[in-house]
Amino acid sequence: MFFKHLTLFSFLFGLISSSPLWGQGFQVNFQGQKQQGMGLAGTALYQDGSSLFYNPGSVAFSNENSANVGFTPVFANVLYVDSTTMQGYRTENPMGRPFHAYGLFQLKDSSALKLGLAVYTPFGSTVQWEDGWIGRFAITRLSLSAIFIQPTVSYRINDKLGFGGGLVVSTGSVTLQRDLPVQFANGDYASASLSGSAFGLGFNIGVQFNATEKFSLGFTYRSQINMKVSDGEAQFNVPESLNANFPDGTFSSSLPLPQVVTLGLAYKFNEKLTAVVDINYVGWKAYDTLAFDYAVNTPSLQDTKSARNYENIFAFRGGVSYGITEAFTVRAGGGYGRTPVQNGYVTPETPDGNRFYGTFGLGCQVDQKLSIDASLFYTQVQRADTNLETNLSGTFFTKAVAPGLSIIYKW
Amino acid sequence: MKQNIFFIFALCSILFGASSCKPKYSEPNLSAGDVNAARFVMIGDGHSGGYMDDALYCDGQKNSLAELLGEQLELIGGQSFTTRFVNQNSVGANPFGQSRLKLAYKEDCNGVSSLSPVRVATQGDISIIATTTFSGEALYRNFGIPGMRTTQVLSPNLAQFNPYFARIASSNTVAPIEDILATEPTFFAIYLGMEEVLKYARTGGSVDDLPSVADFTTAYEEIAQQLHNQGAKGVVATLPNVTQLPYFRTIPYNGLNLDASTANLLSAVFGALGYTFNVGPNSFMIEDPDANAFGVRQINAGELLLLSIPLDSVKCNQMGSLFPFRNEFVLNLVEQQYLNMTINGYNDAIRTIATTYNLAVVETAPFYQQLFSGFTYNGVTFSAQFVSGGAFSLDGIHLNAKGNALLANEFIRAINEHHGAVIPALNANAFSGVLFP
Repeated sequence: MFFKHLTLFSFLFGLISSSPLWGQGFQVNFQGQKQQGMGLAGTALYQDGSSLFYNPGSVAFSNENSANVGFTPVFANVLYVDSTTMQGYRTENPMGRPFHAYGLFQLKDSSALKLGLAVYTPFGSTVQWEDGWIGRFAITRLSLSAIFIQPTVSYRINDKLGFGGGLVVSTGSVTLQRDLPVQFANGDYASASLSGSAFGLGFNIGVQFNATEKFSLGFTYRSQINMKVSDGEAQFNVPESLNANFPDGTFSSSLPLPQVVTLGLAYKFNEKLTAVVDINYVGWKAYDTLAFDYAVNTPSLQDTKSARNYENIFAFRGGVSYGITEAFTVRAGGGYGRTPVQNGYVTPETPDGNRFYGTFGLGCQVDQKLSIDASLFYTQVQRADTNLETNLSGTFFTKAVAPGLSIIYKW
Repeated sequence: MKQNIFFIFALCSILFGASSCKPKYSEPNLSAGDVNAARFVMIGDGHSGGYMDDALYCDGQKNSLAELLGEQLELIGGQSFTTRFVNQNSVGANPFGQSRLKLAYKEDCNGVSSLSPVRVATQGDISIIATTTFSGEALYRNFGIPGMRTTQVLSPNLAQFNPYFARIASSNTVAPIEDILATEPTFFAIYLGMEEVLKYARTGGSVDDLPSVADFTTAYEEIAQQLHNQGAKGVVATLPNVTQLPYFRTIPYNGLNLDASTANLLSAVFGALGYTFNVGPNSFMIEDPDANAFGVRQINAGELLLLSIPLDSVKCNQMGSLFPFRNEFVLNLVEQQYLNMTINGYNDAIRTIATTYNLAVVETAPFYQQLFSGFTYNGVTFSAQFVSGGAFSLDGIHLNAKGNALLANEFIRAINEHHGAVIPALNANAFSGVLFP
């Protein structure tokens, strides 16, 4: 049985993580199926290996070894309706593929010290706009992926207090494509493709405080990680007469993945019913500029600096779980997040707006060792704006559905 | 059993995900307002008839201001708009029988090859300008006739000397206004006057056949009144500051780059007149009868050199230096003032007539000013830079398809505002611009 899971584990591990935009900014919050079922909250509640992400301090209260793999395909679609032409244009995003894999270990039974390894994809997106769309000179495709690998240590001081922390090593890649407003002799537009691999370092620390038998608190801090592309590849497909204006070459850029401070509360009403609440404060202000620095500049190819001017935001998440039987648990939740994107700065790669979402989940304890959790996420967002840089003026309508599944094996 | 439930749950979720998460597009609620778009006519010159790249040719016509407006008016009940297109494969023709321009490599007198506007064929399609009058049944509704001046709309012999009108005229003694009225227009757009002011500007003020403001006004009002009397509503356009077009802004006044020996030579020649020349950029020499006994002087900042200047003569035969530019290549400040004063006079008349006959007004001056300063439209920066600016065709005078779409959007906005209509704008970036080899 366990070997089957291993196979699945490696399969998921091999996927390039990417998912369309549906978390605030380009943040993706699918790191655990139980939490996903409960409105993406659970900082103050040890659930399983996924708590290595949600609160490294809480896993100190586990009393088992476990392996956990999960996958959340995301189906997200954006419709853009241009305000002057009244025409609609759609994304043709590939299915998003955020995954998570966790291993949680104790050196001996009931040890106060736990070791964990977490692999997850908290940021990422692939936005592919339909051919010839009205914003083609701003963006035709953006693919951003990042895999976070977090070795973690967690220690329980006593029955009430535990803390933990992990180093986060992040590797990823980014590809950005857009059309250029010069035409070949046959009328086709030129295009630019910027791609590169990115690397960043950070940490994730958390504290878990079990105030009473029923009530617990969690507090976590996930640091900002600057994903740096230092030797990206810039390719230009332009008419021959303009080759000298747009030389293929290298570029550098960087993208900040923001810090997140979270306060979580959990309350166990009884053996069956538990409620959780999380409040996130996300440091999106770090994303003030998207800059591309080309190794070779020409009058046609200048370094670019695009203002993003994101704002720090709060997000509120909450959910409940209810054990129907020993084996079956149902979960439900929802949340609200403010958008970090100010008016005038909404772009087709992150057509973000304030959003409500709802989630639903099921848990099933197959036997002593094996359990399966599933979740379903739904959101829709509407954002009208006139971008100050491109003057694209219209409304983005986004819908996203994300069903997820994970398998946990404990021993 | 339990696994089955999960399997079904997952399957349903995926199906739900795939099917239900596309946002719905609702068709816009268009409205004609008080426009009866049934039969729309365009009245103007080459700037509305699709003349571009210094010729009338099919792709230019298809993307004319007239066609683009006609297409959008079809969305609010207009009948199919009609233009007499030239053959799709035709190389086009200007009034001198030359073909249209394209961008290609051209070797200059120094043997240096660079991208320049060149004719696509050694000879234009003279069948376009040799056509006798049109004998078909239905009249065309695109009266954007290259070369047509405001007064000529009322002239019964225009077909005899303007072949672009002849090819759509019902006879060679019909005045354009007669054919226009015969189409029973319900809505019209007038963009007249460009031909007149550009004739003066393009000849460096050397040919002054600008109609007086009074004559222009009389003719314009006559046209508007006749259409009004037939019950047609419409939109009229004022004229821009045409000296902002690339034709007048591409060759800089101080573009005379000299080495030491040439600078010394010119200083020796013109030193007596008080003009000295240095290594590097210098002001060109121009003819000016009022300047001094020799009738030559250096050009001043603000005076404009025209794109008609033969650049090879500048590079290799000392034109603009030892042999100063003739008047026909220069628009001096006095000429610019006269031109602008006349344009202002025409524009005042157009606005007054619009008020009298309750017509929408398109102010083209702010539009061209915006191009002149450069502006960003859906991620693309447009400007009045020759070739690279994106909105002008290779003659430096006429807008290309993108430019026409941008201008058509100004017309649409004026119609929407004045007539309470809801007509969608065009996506100008979907139209063709300068093509690069």
